[in-house]
Amino acid sequence: MIEFRDVEKVYSNGVKALSNASFTIQNGEFVFFVGESGAGKSTIIKLLLKEIEPTSGDIIVGGQSLSDMKRSEIPYYRRGLGVVFQDFRLLSDRNIYDNVAFAMEIVEAPRKEIRRKVPMLLGMVGLSSKAKCYPNELSGGEQQRVALARALVNNPSILIADEPSGNLDPATAEEIMEIIEMANRRGTTVIMATHAKDIVDSMEKRVITLKNGVIVRDEEKGGYFNEA
Amino acid sequence: MKLRTWKSFFKQGFKNAFGNKTMSVASIVAIAAALCVLGVVMLIVLNLNYLMDDLEAKSEVTVFLDKDVSYSDIKAIESKMEKWDGVREVEFVSKSSALAKWREELDDKAYLLDGYDGDKNPLPHSFIIGIEKPEYTEDIASKAKLLPQVMKVNYSKEVAESIGKVVHSVRLVGAAVVIILAIIAAIIIHNTVRLTVYSRRREINIMKYIGATDWYIRWPFIIEGFTIGITGSLIAIAIITPLYQYVLNKLAGQHLAEGFFVNIFRLLPLGDVIYNILFVFILVGVSVGVIGSGMSIRKHLKV
Repeated sequence: MIEFRDVEKVYSNGVKALSNASFTIQNGEFVFFVGESGAGKSTIIKLLLKEIEPTSGDIIVGGQSLSDMKRSEIPYYRRGLGVVFQDFRLLSDRNIYDNVAFAMEIVEAPRKEIRRKVPMLLGMVGLSSKAKCYPNELSGGEQQRVALARALVNNPSILIADEPSGNLDPATAEEIMEIIEMANRRGTTVIMATHAKDIVDSMEKRVITLKNGVIVRDEEKGGYFNEA
Repeated sequence: MKLRTWKSFFKQGFKNAFGNKTMSVASIVAIAAALCVLGVVMLIVLNLNYLMDDLEAKSEVTVFLDKDVSYSDIKAIESKMEKWDGVREVEFVSKSSALAKWREELDDKAYLLDGYDGDKNPLPHSFIIGIEKPEYTEDIASKAKLLPQVMKVNYSKEVAESIGKVVHSVRLVGAAVVIILAIIAAIIIHNTVRLTVYSRRREINIMKYIGATDWYIRWPFIIEGFTIGITGSLIAIAIITPLYQYVLNKLAGQHLAEGFFVNIFRLLPLGDVIYNILFVFILVGVSVGVIGSGMSIRKHLKV
């Protein structure tokens, strides 16, 4: 379970990115965060990753308050999260297989386990035949699928996606969404920030709409509202 | 951490150290140069210490007594001097043994002293006081001068004092030079590793998001610094060792030519200094490398 309690974030330059944000996300839920650029979506994601600290309020993930978390505990917390970004963030000096295996090497998974799971995940995202390719030899959609395989390979309980389809054409975006939905069906909580209206409208999931750092709507089976 | 993880740290560290050639070479040269200067300073200090020890063993004060000194006075003076601080031993040299010694020194011209035996011996009785440390020399000499029946006191004041001062200042200047050089070398390594860190900041960022610990990210960079440091040390050793051997050979040749200097100016043999130098070089090289790289990664871990 993820809980935001009256979370406020004011950046050091004085910009108020988020005010009085309160919401609860149950395990296994699929939630969209929508809103224009600067509405506060990325701030929520950064707060969840504990990349930044809230100015006030509390964030509780899996029963643990993020503000009580020690710096040394952050890596272990993040291992329970899978993250994909708009710009994929693959390691350009390693092939696809190694990019996915890397996430398992960091947590020092047994070698046998790595050899079993990496091909499995590459199969799941439909890239088994490109395991030896390097990221720059792949299309944007393929790169994002690699990023998804990497995010899911350690069986995270929460998948965080920051504009995963932002750089992709609609058809490719749909493929990505299928993989994300598949992960959700297997029990992974999905939190996705986006401004892709089509995707949000077609998925019929919970939608939290942000405007100027304030939550203006929180609807089950919601849609994308341009004028919230 | 697992052995496999360490293996990958070393692989990555070596790849960084030898991959970015220009910067690594600059760092290695800087460390090697700094260590060479350090080596020269060390060799000078070690040899001066050696020379000091040698002189300490040889420090002595000669006390000449009045001609009419009696046997009981001699005994009294001897027991007094034996109680002074810094006195290692007191040796009595009678006038006849002094004459015999002089004869010996004159060698084939000893006949010059014929006829000065017995009552005609012009030499005084004397004491040779062995001193523990050169610092005591002056004190003991001035005390000896105040004793009754003492005619004259001789000691090698200048040599002992000036060498003591030289060693002291060489040590001070040497320490300062070494510290400054170590800092400069650390800054240069810091810059090299900072460049690798900068070029890999994206990767570090990704690793942080996936949940890599700080140490997981840090180790390859520390190994990079270590590799640069140890390579610099080994190069410095490869330069300093034959250089010292050359100086030794050169001096040995000179000794043969002017046999006189053999005992005064003897340098430590290579075998006696090589381990000291090896130890210090590797210690300094490695710590400078590790500290330099450790510092440059710190900033990028705050994600």
